[in-house]
Amino acid sequence: MTTEHPSLPDGGETRSPVRLAARELSVGYGNRLIIEGLDLELPAGAFTVVIGPNACGKSTLLRTLARLLAPRGGAALIDGEDLHAQPTRELARRLSVLPQSPVTPEGVTVADLVARGRQPYQRWFRQWGAEDSAAVERALALTGLTDVRDQSVEALSGGQRQRVWIAMTLAQDTDALLLDEPTTYLDLAHQVEVLDLLRRLNRDGGRTVIAVLHDLNQACRYADHLVVMKDGRVVDQGPPDKVMSAETLADVFGLGGVVVPCPVTGAPMVVPDAPA
Amino acid sequence: MRTAMPSYPVAGRSVVSAGPLTFVVRRRSAGVFLLLLALTLVAVVLSLGVGSTFVAPVDVVRALAGDGPFTLVVQDLRLPRIVVALAVGTLLGLSGALLQAVSRNPLASPDVIGVSQGAGFAATIVMSTDLGAAWLGPFALLGGLAAATLVFTLSWRYGLAARRFVLCGIAVALATKALTEIFIVGADAIDGQRAQIWLAGSVAGTGYPEARILLIPLVVLLPVLLWAGRAMDTTALDDEVARGLGVRVTNRRLLLGVVGVVLAALAISQAGAVDFVALVAAQLARRLVRAERPPLACSAVAGGLLTVVADLVARTAFAPVQLPVGVLTAVLGGPYLLWLLVRRTP
Repeated sequence: MTTEHPSLPDGGETRSPVRLAARELSVGYGNRLIIEGLDLELPAGAFTVVIGPNACGKSTLLRTLARLLAPRGGAALIDGEDLHAQPTRELARRLSVLPQSPVTPEGVTVADLVARGRQPYQRWFRQWGAEDSAAVERALALTGLTDVRDQSVEALSGGQRQRVWIAMTLAQDTDALLLDEPTTYLDLAHQVEVLDLLRRLNRDGGRTVIAVLHDLNQACRYADHLVVMKDGRVVDQGPPDKVMSAETLADVFGLGGVVVPCPVTGAPMVVPDAPA
Repeated sequence: MRTAMPSYPVAGRSVVSAGPLTFVVRRRSAGVFLLLLALTLVAVVLSLGVGSTFVAPVDVVRALAGDGPFTLVVQDLRLPRIVVALAVGTLLGLSGALLQAVSRNPLASPDVIGVSQGAGFAATIVMSTDLGAAWLGPFALLGGLAAATLVFTLSWRYGLAARRFVLCGIAVALATKALTEIFIVGADAIDGQRAQIWLAGSVAGTGYPEARILLIPLVVLLPVLLWAGRAMDTTALDDEVARGLGVRVTNRRLLLGVVGVVLAALAISQAGAVDFVALVAAQLARRLVRAERPPLACSAVAGGLLTVVADLVARTAFAPVQLPVGVLTAVLGGPYLLWLLVRRTP
């Protein structure tokens, strides 16, 4: 399935790249620290992908950078300022987040869900304005959903549904977009569709995009900057061709195999050892 | 600079502006609201006419204007009680909508999560001791609020989780009800019977003093309700999605929940535990409007309508015996609740 995406000029104003960082960051649940004393600087305006084995803390890191989790120690920074000290509503105008597999409210239409992305700009006494309409139309057009705007979100395919959620975060009109495993539960064609969209949002729109992905080949194919995590620490980071290697594969994922250039893009491609 | 009114991007909704205020209105909600309002008006006129003396609707309207032979019957004898029924129903409808939205549970209502039982327990204590009748309302109000506080406290764990809230409420409701039964069994027969009637919920013998106690807080809370109508839109979203949109989820849920509880406790303090109105009104309104959560204004009117109709039937069906209105709402609400449960089973 291919969808025609119009290549729209993205918004009117120029976006300022957002710098996200962690300084001596510790995060945990209950008594257990998942991340301890993490220092990390993510490049502004880049498409960053965080990878690592299960339970390495990559989702925890992303959710902390999106202020969905509060740090136990240290700080998460946005343009050098403590992110958790910002008023959450103002932060929602600079940074949007798509959590992992959000539940779709019953019977909500595409446009209705996307329009909720305008929440951080609204007050109960000023519930809608021309700029809100413009942002929603822009988000629908960028994600190719204008034609299905009046359909129920539940009736859409998994790939379309994920685009609706991304459209909601786009309606938020932020400079940074954080996504927690946005391709989980999608078939390959829809995974590619979502990742292509994210890349376009990064390239054309100048948004800083940070995503947690499971698929190493897709991570290498789409990322400008790869962050490799293990046991709550950042093991390595940099451009995919500098970071991804057979050693990384063995050390971080405990997986034997080779890393070869992808025949289509030239990006590193992981080929695990022959099955035992 | 905004000159023209922007159209809302969602079908069936309009942007309505008045001075500095700009609201988004579901057109279907507006229609349902007006329909329910018209039905309520009809029910009120009908209820004003029916009783030991029948007054034709035309004469009811004349009597309301202070004209004709039925002014005394209509204005002084029947109207006050109907105003109380209307107010009680409105408050309960609002409460049901708020609590159901906050808990994302169509079964949540003040009589399910313990507010009614808390008020009933306090009222029973007043009636089975030497405290005067003047203490009934204040005690019931405090009892309802105390039960709700207990529910909020018990369900609090790193914030207010929607599911936990309802489960803790059911537990508190059952425990409080059991305590009340113990008191009633221990009380002398007449006090026990009074308590039973109060527990069923009745507007018999009430009038403008009660109505004032109900309506003044409603007017005071109006700005909060206007805010709530909008704030409820994010309660249907995942907590994390809502947080990402800059919503302080816990604060919002707590405030909406507290308003819902206070409105219910007020209504119950004046009329007793009128069951099911909150639950049914909010669900009825939600179905009519076809929204993903109960609409606030429509639930309010639906609650008023249901209570006025139930009271009309309760005081006339078995005349001269007057049933407490709560008996009738329970008789109607029980099957509705069952239908709701059966329908929701996949």
